[in-house]
Amino acid sequence: MNREIVKTIALRSFALVILLSTGWQVRAQEAKATYPSMARLDQYLMADRNAEIVLARSAAPESISRDAEVMVLGRHGYEMAVKGKNGFVCLVERSWTAGINDPVFWDPKIRGAICLNPPAARSYLPITLKKTELILAGRSKAQMSEGIKEAFDRKELPALESGSMSYMMSKQAQLADSVGHWHPHLMFFAPQTDAVTWGADLPGSPILTFGYSQDRMTVFLIPVGKWSDGTADGN
Amino acid sequence: MGSLALLVLLISARQTQAQEANAKYPSMAPLDQYLMSDRNAEIALARSAAPESISRDAEILVLGPHGYETTAKGRNGFVCVVERSWMAPFDDPEFLNPDQRLPLCLNPPAARSHLPLTFKMTELALAGLSKTQMFDSIKAAFDKKELPIPEPGSICYMMSKQQYFGRKYGNADPHLMFWVPKTDDMFWGAGLPGSPVYVHQYSPEPITEFIVSVSKWSDGTAGPTD
Repeated sequence: MNREIVKTIALRSFALVILLSTGWQVRAQEAKATYPSMARLDQYLMADRNAEIVLARSAAPESISRDAEVMVLGRHGYEMAVKGKNGFVCLVERSWTAGINDPVFWDPKIRGAICLNPPAARSYLPITLKKTELILAGRSKAQMSEGIKEAFDRKELPALESGSMSYMMSKQAQLADSVGHWHPHLMFFAPQTDAVTWGADLPGSPILTFGYSQDRMTVFLIPVGKWSDGTADGN
Repeated sequence: MGSLALLVLLISARQTQAQEANAKYPSMAPLDQYLMSDRNAEIALARSAAPESISRDAEILVLGPHGYETTAKGRNGFVCVVERSWMAPFDDPEFLNPDQRLPLCLNPPAARSHLPLTFKMTELALAGLSKTQMFDSIKAAFDKKELPIPEPGSICYMMSKQQYFGRKYGNADPHLMFWVPKTDDMFWGAGLPGSPVYVHQYSPEPITEFIVSVSKWSDGTAGPTD
């Protein structure tokens, strides 16, 4: 297993704890066996549209999310549920936004609530929408990955804008079986960058990183002290 | 447009002069008060801005009577330096406070695009210019593009437990700073209730600084909880 895949599995599923434990490989294999292929579409959808709106908004403090556009997942892709006024977009990402080698890729329980700032809404969100379109059209992981690559090559997907970032501060999110909602954090999206440029992933550094070559980006992740509801992160 | 620009210039100059009159530190203290007599202590303080895994391979600058000097060559593109109070905002009451010590470690894009501002401000301060003259000089330098705007991905670590912002804020808290070309606060949702992102709008520099607190000091001990 190459280093990139190890890192992807460990960080995209926020399973740093797994990486640090002795049995992480076994657990990763178990996870792969648990979610080997796409579940029924209904399992990825939230029956209660209002609950999905609330969950999406919970990614950021109310001062940001109350004026954000909110998108919810329908049978044919994401749909705008609430018009925004401040340029932010909140939505609940599903498991297929993980790397294709990530054990949670088909986990129907994943609910990645996220609020994107305006540059990220313009330049990161199209990737999520494209992935969702391909998956809901029945494409395999490999086909989705190839579809994303082709979309970049044909410039149907934009280059990441400078300053693209997002809030993931929802206590109700579900990021992986092993870590639940993990910690409240911010994510910064940059064109593929060496982690060392930000001093990320080094001992004592408060910055973690992950990235997939298919998405042509590096994501820098910084845990913060409080959830969007103002309560302290207890861990 | 010309008269509008002149009006803005006059207003900003008057504001700066008014701030100068009311400032706690209206002019430079004797230079010695800004210098650290123990060069090794300054190196250690500069390095303490970031975890050892970053700062041990960073270039280190220390302040001498004529400006910053390199004392240790780096290998990872980071530069660690102890900034002085002339790097505080012009309207900050601690501006020119000789006790202020602001260790920071800049990543490579920030080293290229923020350090020139540090050097310029230091040059002006050491030359004994007034706050108004410094303000005007920095404004002109940006207008003439002699100073760069922040490169994408410009960040710095300020995680030193020994950092000192002055009596009001003391050691503050460990944090990261992100510099971007001037933008509005909402670009990152900064400064809003519950947001973990704080913002400082520089003036006259066309720079916005976003600040994110982190949980630990560079030595691994826990920072303040609130």
